[in-house]
This record gives sequence, structure tokens and C-alpha cells, in this order.
Amino acid sequence: MTLFRSMAIRMALVYILLICGFCYVSSVLYAVQIKRHDELFGKAQNTYTTRIETHGTRGEIFDFGGSLLVGNIPTMDIIGDPANIYILNKKDKDRTETECRMIADFFEKECENVKSDEIFRRLSRRSFTTKDKDGNEIEQDCHYAVIATGVDYQTAKRLKERVKELSFHGISFTGSYRRKYPKDTMLANILGLANFSADKFIPVQGIERSLNDAMTATSGSMVFERARNGRHVTFANSRNEPTLDGYDIFLTIREPLQAIVEEELDLMCERVKPHAAWAILVDPETGDVLAAAQRPTFNPNDRNTMTQESSTNRLSELALEPGSIMKPFVISYALDKGFVTPGTMVDCEQGVWKYAGRLLHDTHNVGKVPVTEVIKQSSNIGTAKVSVMMGAKNLDAALRSFGFGQKTGIQLKPETSGIFRPLEKWDSLSVSRFCIGQGIAVSPLQLARAYCMIANGGYKVDLRIVDRIERGDDVRVMPVVREKKSIFANPTTKKMITDMMIGVTEAGGTCTEAAIEGFHVAGKTGTAQKVINGAYSNRYYASFVGFVPAEKPKFVLLVTCDDPTVGSRYGGSASGPTFKAIAERALKYMYVQPQMSREEWLAERSAAQKALHERKVREDALVQARREARDRQLKEQQAKQTSKKNGTTVASRPSSGSKSSTVRR
Amino acid sequence: MNKFTKKTNPSEDGAETGRKQTPWVAGLIFKMALIMSIIFAAFCARLHLNDKTEQLAREASEIRKQIEEKQKEIKMKEFELAQLKSRDNINAKIREHNLALRAVNPSQVRHMKRFEGQVSTPSLYGGDTRVADTSANAMKTSAGGI
Repeated sequence: MTLFRSMAIRMALVYILLICGFCYVSSVLYAVQIKRHDELFGKAQNTYTTRIETHGTRGEIFDFGGSLLVGNIPTMDIIGDPANIYILNKKDKDRTETECRMIADFFEKECENVKSDEIFRRLSRRSFTTKDKDGNEIEQDCHYAVIATGVDYQTAKRLKERVKELSFHGISFTGSYRRKYPKDTMLANILGLANFSADKFIPVQGIERSLNDAMTATSGSMVFERARNGRHVTFANSRNEPTLDGYDIFLTIREPLQAIVEEELDLMCERVKPHAAWAILVDPETGDVLAAAQRPTFNPNDRNTMTQESSTNRLSELALEPGSIMKPFVISYALDKGFVTPGTMVDCEQGVWKYAGRLLHDTHNVGKVPVTEVIKQSSNIGTAKVSVMMGAKNLDAALRSFGFGQKTGIQLKPETSGIFRPLEKWDSLSVSRFCIGQGIAVSPLQLARAYCMIANGGYKVDLRIVDRIERGDDVRVMPVVREKKSIFANPTTKKMITDMMIGVTEAGGTCTEAAIEGFHVAGKTGTAQKVINGAYSNRYYASFVGFVPAEKPKFVLLVTCDDPTVGSRYGGSASGPTFKAIAERALKYMYVQPQMSREEWLAERSAAQKALHERKVREDALVQARREARDRQLKEQQAKQTSKKNGTTVASRPSSGSKSSTVRR
Repeated sequence: MNKFTKKTNPSEDGAETGRKQTPWVAGLIFKMALIMSIIFAAFCARLHLNDKTEQLAREASEIRKQIEEKQKEIKMKEFELAQLKSRDNINAKIREHNLALRAVNPSQVRHMKRFEGQVSTPSLYGGDTRVADTSANAMKTSAGGI
């Protein structure tokens, strides 16, 4: 064999080996890259792909002008890793227990509401027993123990530095948010509150609850490939589902007006010490709730102040018998339909009237008066007679046209629609009682809305407490819902009823305390008996509601005391002064110019006083004349009887007057 | 020399054969080397770019963290501002410093309307008083003040 031939053989062998090797490698490559591609690619993805859930922030709540009412405050949660707790560089088990104690003591000193023993117990639990999928018990390391949650951000930053200085290992700080209410008790019952639990906000009540869907942020995720050290590999595939923060809510509330109402309500509570009280200020043209306050109230930042009594939203949830503040609705309807005019005389029976077998009383005796005086002096009998004349069907139509028995459209839940029986369920007494605010239950919001309708000329308007919601450039304004057609067919109805209501705050009216210098104030008092255990009690809701300036109102204001315990229980005395105080300050804040000078105002009032005095003199004279005539009649009758006994007759004189109780149209 | 080696005259077949074989092998090797170099350079460039990208991403991540920190601080400040503006706080300050504050009298405030070169100021007790608008920057405000 020649050398060349042996070389050739060797080379051929090498080539064959190389080819075999190449084929083998190719087959392995095929098996791995082609046949098992999906399986192995999936495994690799699982190992080196990370998915992180990202959360947006919950929307915040502001007043109309952008003043923060409810906000998200960054906080930190402090988490321990019990399996890896150690100080410095030593990991000896015995030393770890001492270190757990040191760490627990450290956090008890630095954090509020943290107990050292409890932290020590949590950090000492290095493992726990669990069951695998076959049901066998296995022991696993415990890597999560809560040390403190919701720690103030600045405090947490400082603690983080300290932990680093002290070389505590196994302690981590994770960012979170908490809901905070910077105005404390202001508007608390309306705003409500939200709890934070398991990384979620859970709304409890108020705006937090009714607009929860709008305020809730949407979650997103980031899916990316990471290197062995956990770092995001930028040039590799990644997918990002963006988060969306929740909408910010802008209310119709004006903080300065809210502050005014809250302060005056506090003063009223100090003065008359009621069981509860509330006030609501509304724009009659748009239905915007400019301010709404209640007592008792609570501080959402301090859950210890939350009780059933203090956290109830009485404005929307409470249905109460309103009393005399219902009268203007009935009278305005009667005026509009032509049943009565302002000058129609009504006999108020000197304060006692029997109808359908039951007596109806007035708080003070009123005789025959025009309809104007029925409102001014708040005669129950006068109103009932007008209502009886209208009939039950018209009364039902009147009250429903003012929105009673319906919700107001405000964005608050729950909201009561009150208790207003359908017409077929009325009894014989209903027509004389509903008109004076008995037997019917309405919410303060319904009352405010109904008075807005009188103030704006009869246009039904839904109440609004949310003005707009915003998320970046996405701004959505809540529409003003207002009927196009007035419920008043007669264009002079508004003026007629307003003039009557102005009389309430003038001499002879039931609430001169509510008069404001330089303005005409149209209002109505209400003193309604509370129903307790199914029966009328001697406790009262004392209310005053009105709008000012009367001719072109800037706002409607309702103030109510629930059971005033000091001083007078009447609406005019208990709530009237507070109405005046709030209205005066609100008018000044709104830069509303007085309608007349002080001198003109005083002149008007003294003229009204004079007219009242003259009327009283005339009435006294009339009463005196009637009394004399009655005495004369009595004497004649006695003389007749005496002469009959003696057998003689005496000619009788015709009587000079006779009682009649009819209502003339 | 033995049977395993055979010396041939290199100047005869081998040298000529080698000379004939060398040009195309050398050319092949050179081309392969060139291609491999280009590929290698591309790899290096890509790795360099990746490294730069990673570095920038790290810096971006740091800056993002700083922005988040700043946003948290801004949030804290906004909250603090809202607390300072609350009525309880303002009332406390008024009491503390004994400030003689009072509400503005509406007569101190005038609303101005512009009517084509004229300025109208509402009279205190009704009606308007029109005067020539001499100011180019006369403000148009709505009644009400809210």
C-alpha cells in the first residue's frame, strides 16, 4: 500500500467521521430546535419572562374650584422575611431570635400601633406546614410577615435609612397608598369613606361608594424578559398593558360656602342643642348643591368617631314629616289653577276646626284672613280649607308636580323617595293633612328641590352634587337636567307666592328673625311633630327654608333642627337666626349687592309694622263688637226666659251679626 | 527513506500541483475570513448597542424612580396645602394671631360689563351707569363671584 493510498483511506475515514458527527449534531439540533421547540421555548419563557401587575391610582375628590377634599397619600408597608432575618452578616439560628427581638423593639419604638411581641411572633415563624398536590404535608419557608402598614411616607423613608444603618436584613419597604381626608369633618357624611384592604379600595358610603366605578383605576401589566440577575432585558420582547388612573371627581360644592354653613351649624348646635341638625344650600337655576352640612358628623381619618348616628347621611336617607314648610306648594298650585287669589278670604275658625271627625288646630288663633295671611301666619286650618276646596286629586297632582314621591336625581346613594301614598290609598283625612306636611314623609333634598322650583319660576330641576369628572384631558361634565316647561301655567304665580313668602320675614310673619338688611327674603317656617313609635310626640323638627334675594334668588337655603332642647322649639326661633347668618355671609361671599339701601329697607319694615298694627286694631275692634253683640243677645234671651216664667212677653230685637264659616272664591 | 515515505521531487509534480492548488484555497480562505470578520464585527456592534441600550434603560429606570419619588412628594405637599386651607386650620390661625378680619362689604365690589367701547358699572340700587372704556384691559367678569 502506498503512502498516498493510506493517507487517502485515513482522510476518507475522517470525512466519514465528520459527516457522521455532523449528521448526529444535525439530528440533535432538529430534535431540540424543531421537534421540541414549543416545549422548550415555553420552559425558557417561563423561566426568564416576568409579569408584573401594575395598578393605577384611585381618583380623588375636589370641590368646584379644585380644592382637595379626598386624596391618595403615598405610604409604605414594612414587610419582614422571617426565613432571612439577620443582622450584620451572621445567619446563625440562635442569634436570629435575638435579632428578631431587636428588630421588633425597634419598630415598636418608631411606628404607631405596633406591638413588639406581636412583631417578634411573626418574625420568629420561619416556616409553615402546608400540603402538596398529593396531600402530603410539607414544610415551606415563610418569606412574608407584615410589620406595619400604611406608614407615613416621610417616616418610612427615614426608617429605611435607619434599617440600612443598623444592617437589619430581611426587611423590605413596599409603596402603597392610603385614602386621606384633609378637611377632616367637612362634608364627611356626603363624601363617605373607603377602606383599603388586600391592595384594593373598598368603598363604604357616600360619594366614595356611589361613584366608585368612575374612581376605580384599571390594572395593567408589564410582561418582559429578564436576565439572570432579574434585570429587564430591554432589547428583548416586552409587552405593556397600560394602567388607567381613576377619574377625579369635581363636586358642585364650594368650599368657602361649605365652611360658612358648617360654622353656623356648629353655632346653632351650641345654641339650641338639638339631637341632630342639617343645612343645604342649592342654586335654584341649575340644581347645584353649593353646600351641605349635617350634625352629628364624624372624622373619616379617625374611625373611632364613626357611629351609626354620626355617619348617616340624613339629607338623602332620612324621610321626615316636614310640617308647615309644605304649605307654599299647595297654595302656589291653588293660585296657579285659579282656585284662590291672594285676596281670597279664608275663615281660619279662630284656631280650631273639625273636619272628617278630627280636630285641626292652629298654633295661634286666626280669624278670617286673605290667603296671603294664611302663609304669613302659617295657618293649618286656612291651608287645609284651600286644600279641601281643591280636592284630593288636585292636591296629589300639586305635590307630585313638585317632585315629592320621586328621587331628586342627585348622585348619592342610597336616596329615599320618601313616603307619599298613591291617591287610591288616601283616607278622608289625607286631603287636610298632607297639605300641612303631616302623613307624608319627604327628604331634605326633596324639600330643597321643591323650593328651587318655586324660586326659579316653576321649572323642575334635578339636584347635582357632581359637576364634572376628569382624567387628564378627558373631561366629562355632568349635564344640568331642567325641564323646559314650567309647572306654573300662570306667569304671575311665582310673584304671588314669593310675595306671600316675603311676608313671613316681615312684621306679623312667623320668622322676622330671618330678615336680612337690604334684601327681600322669601321663606317659610316649619315646626313638625316627630313620629316616635308610631305616634306623634312632643318633639319637633324645627325648620326654616327660604331663598334670597326673593325676586331673583341666588340660592335656596334649608336649615333644620331635629328636636331642639334649649330655647324655643319653633322653626322660626330655632332655625331662623341660623338661616339669616348663613344667608348674610353667603351673599357677601357671592358679592350680591343689596336690593335697597338701609333707609329704604327700614322704611319698608316700619310701614309693614304700621299696617300690621292698624290691622290688629281693626281686628280687635271687630272682636270687641262681636263680643258686645253676643253679650247683648245673651241678655235678651235671659230676659225672655225670665218674662216667660212670669207670664209676660218681650219683643225681641234682631241679632246684629251671625257667624259663618265659608270660603269665598 | 523507508517504505512509508517516498521522496518525490518537489520540483516535479508536487510543487507545480501545490502552486496550482494554492491560489484558489488562499482565495477561499481569505473570503471566508472576510465574511467571518464582517459577521464578527456586526455581532460586536450589536452587543455594543445592546450594552448601551441596557445602560440607558438603567438610567431611565433610575430617573423614573426619581420622578416617582418627586411625584409622591408633590402629593404630600398638595395634601398639606389642602390641610392648611381647611377652615379649622384657618380659624385656629385667626384666633392665634388675633386677626381683625371681617367679610367684605358688597358695596366695595363692582362688576364691570363691556359694551362696545363702553364700560357699564351696575348702580348699587339698580340700573347701569355707562362710561367710555378708556382701559384696553378692562376685565369682563360674570355676576355672582363664584
